[in-house]
Amino acid sequence: MSNEPHILVIDDEPQIQRAVRTILTEKGFRVTTASRGEEGLTLAATNEPDIIILDLGLPDMDGVEVCARLREWTQIPIIILSVRDSERDKVAALDKGADDYLTKPFGIEELLARVRVALRHSIGRQGAQGKLIKAGSLTIDLVWHLIKRGDEEIKLTGTEYKLLAYLAANHGRVLTHQNILIQVWGPADADHTEYLRVYMRQLRKKLEVDPERPQYILTEPGIGYRFISDE
Amino acid sequence: MNFTNMRISSLVSRFGQYFFAIGSIAVTTVVFINLRGGLDTTLIALLYLIPLGLITAFWGLGPGITSALITFLTFNYFFIPPYYTLAVHRPADVVILLVFLVVAVVISQLVGRMQASLIAANAREREATQLYELSVALTGLHDDHAIAQILAKQVQAVSQGEYVSLNITGTASFAFHLPETKTPTRPPELAVPIQAARGNLGEILLWKAGPVIASGEMRLLQTFASQGALALERARLAKAESRAKILEESDQLKSILLSSVSHELRTPLSTIKAAASSLRSNEISWDSAARPELIAAIDDEADHLNMLVGNLLDMSRIESGALKPKREWNILPEIVESVLARMRHSVDEHKLMVDMPESLPFIPVDYVQMEQVFTNLVSNSLKYAPSNTTIRIRANVEGETVHIQVRNQGPHVPPEHLERIFDKFYRITAADRVTGTGLGLSICKGIIEAHGGRIWAENVSDGFAFNFTLPLTWDGLLPPQIPMDTETE
Repeated sequence: MSNEPHILVIDDEPQIQRAVRTILTEKGFRVTTASRGEEGLTLAATNEPDIIILDLGLPDMDGVEVCARLREWTQIPIIILSVRDSERDKVAALDKGADDYLTKPFGIEELLARVRVALRHSIGRQGAQGKLIKAGSLTIDLVWHLIKRGDEEIKLTGTEYKLLAYLAANHGRVLTHQNILIQVWGPADADHTEYLRVYMRQLRKKLEVDPERPQYILTEPGIGYRFISDE
Repeated sequence: MNFTNMRISSLVSRFGQYFFAIGSIAVTTVVFINLRGGLDTTLIALLYLIPLGLITAFWGLGPGITSALITFLTFNYFFIPPYYTLAVHRPADVVILLVFLVVAVVISQLVGRMQASLIAANAREREATQLYELSVALTGLHDDHAIAQILAKQVQAVSQGEYVSLNITGTASFAFHLPETKTPTRPPELAVPIQAARGNLGEILLWKAGPVIASGEMRLLQTFASQGALALERARLAKAESRAKILEESDQLKSILLSSVSHELRTPLSTIKAAASSLRSNEISWDSAARPELIAAIDDEADHLNMLVGNLLDMSRIESGALKPKREWNILPEIVESVLARMRHSVDEHKLMVDMPESLPFIPVDYVQMEQVFTNLVSNSLKYAPSNTTIRIRANVEGETVHIQVRNQGPHVPPEHLERIFDKFYRITAADRVTGTGLGLSICKGIIEAHGGRIWAENVSDGFAFNFTLPLTWDGLLPPQIPMDTETE
């Protein structure tokens, strides 16, 4: 068995399969493809890939359901492929345990960036999680609860810190509004997106060099937020 | 008043006419008897004609003729010698008596007929007036229900029936009753079909106890029915016509859309095809400067194509009413900043200024849709405003709405186009060289309206501005206040 990372692509469109396979093979990945949900589930169980790329619109079953069924037994990173304007589906899949999403049509850089993040998380799960996260001039120490920009320490309130810590611990991944709200505020406030908006705005003012053009905490419109680290 | 009473009263009045007629003759006779010594028989005969004429004029032919015959007898009995017998001795008196009889009857008949024809004329006039009123009331009505209502009211007014019911058949059958509060327990006395050229449109049912419905009344009801039929038919034709017109227009729109869409889609496709095929052929060497150029063109045009398809999808959603905003309490500056951050690379020739108070409350909007509104308005401004000018976005609260303006220093738009620029595929100049989908502004309009807001464009002193308002309330709720923690870690 070869050592190169193995990616399972579940998508029923041959053109997409062809393009993704070509690009990923070229980049040194091993690629297996499935065009149906059931087939994908079987291949995921037998081949144990490192990453699964899953299209939400499959002919035999709902992609969100495939996601849920995979999460019953594995934590393999799942990247979702879907068309624009289906934020609802994307959020549903992300809340069901998918790690990231890509909107069709997508650029190669986006695909590779998602794959890299997923791969890191796949490896990170096996070893110890990084407790010191760097993003530009920003350093976040999750052990000592210390945030620095350059040498200057940034003071955060309790909620702000909880928010940043959760985002930073999942750097590179998209986190849905609901996911963040439940983690930081608790399940009772899962629908209070406005809390998130206000605190995110404050947090950006404290962290970002130009809060109007955030570099560290990116907005994923209609879905959630993503923390971008140096890794 | 109930109908048996009416019948009795009509009988009483009929009987009364005869009673008064005979009474008048009696009174006149008594007066004449007193004058009998001084008056000539012929004069009395002449004088008798006066009450006769009056009786006929007042009470009609029947009482007139009856009075004439009675007068003939009383005249003979009281005034032709020998008095108090019906015998006549002088031949001259026979002549007077006969002449009197003939004249009395003729006068009665003449006056009576005149009277009858006057009544008939009045009735006809009333009918004509009622018909006129009905047709005036029905003119311009394009709704079956309104027509039925007017028709029922008029039928009720004319027939004095207890109850009128109109059953209208057709695609949406219904019945209209008058008075609406009660329902009859017996079958209707009269049913008049509403017959149109293209078939039966329903019927008028009339409940009216009492004398048999007169033929004139029946005729009038039938005329009403045919008037109603005409009105109903007219309404249906008008409806069919407007439907046909809408269909035709939407058909036209579709073909405009198709031709516009296929044109818009082909342009980026041509670029992609040309670039890709030239890269594939060996015409362009690997190190040629054209290579990255062509690759960039493919990439850009693919994005353009994607945007186009997205816009078309949005438009069809807006038009089918499927565009439902997923509202959340959002921070307006965050939306605007995120849009501008994403557009930064394409605004290097313009200056962008955002003027929004920090105190702006939350707005209940769909984040993604609102982003699209700002993206479209700003990119429209970028397209038309000259380089090195400023695009300003500002917002302020006005009562329970927020007013947002995207203002540029671009050229004025002729006033007659100000509203139409929000139409699909509407371009001010036919040969518009500016690229785009022609859908951006109509999508903005669709989104703003789905949010319960309003969008309009105006020429301002130094350029052109898009304005829109959005409600600050969400299901009647005002923006929330967020509890903030200030304790520092």
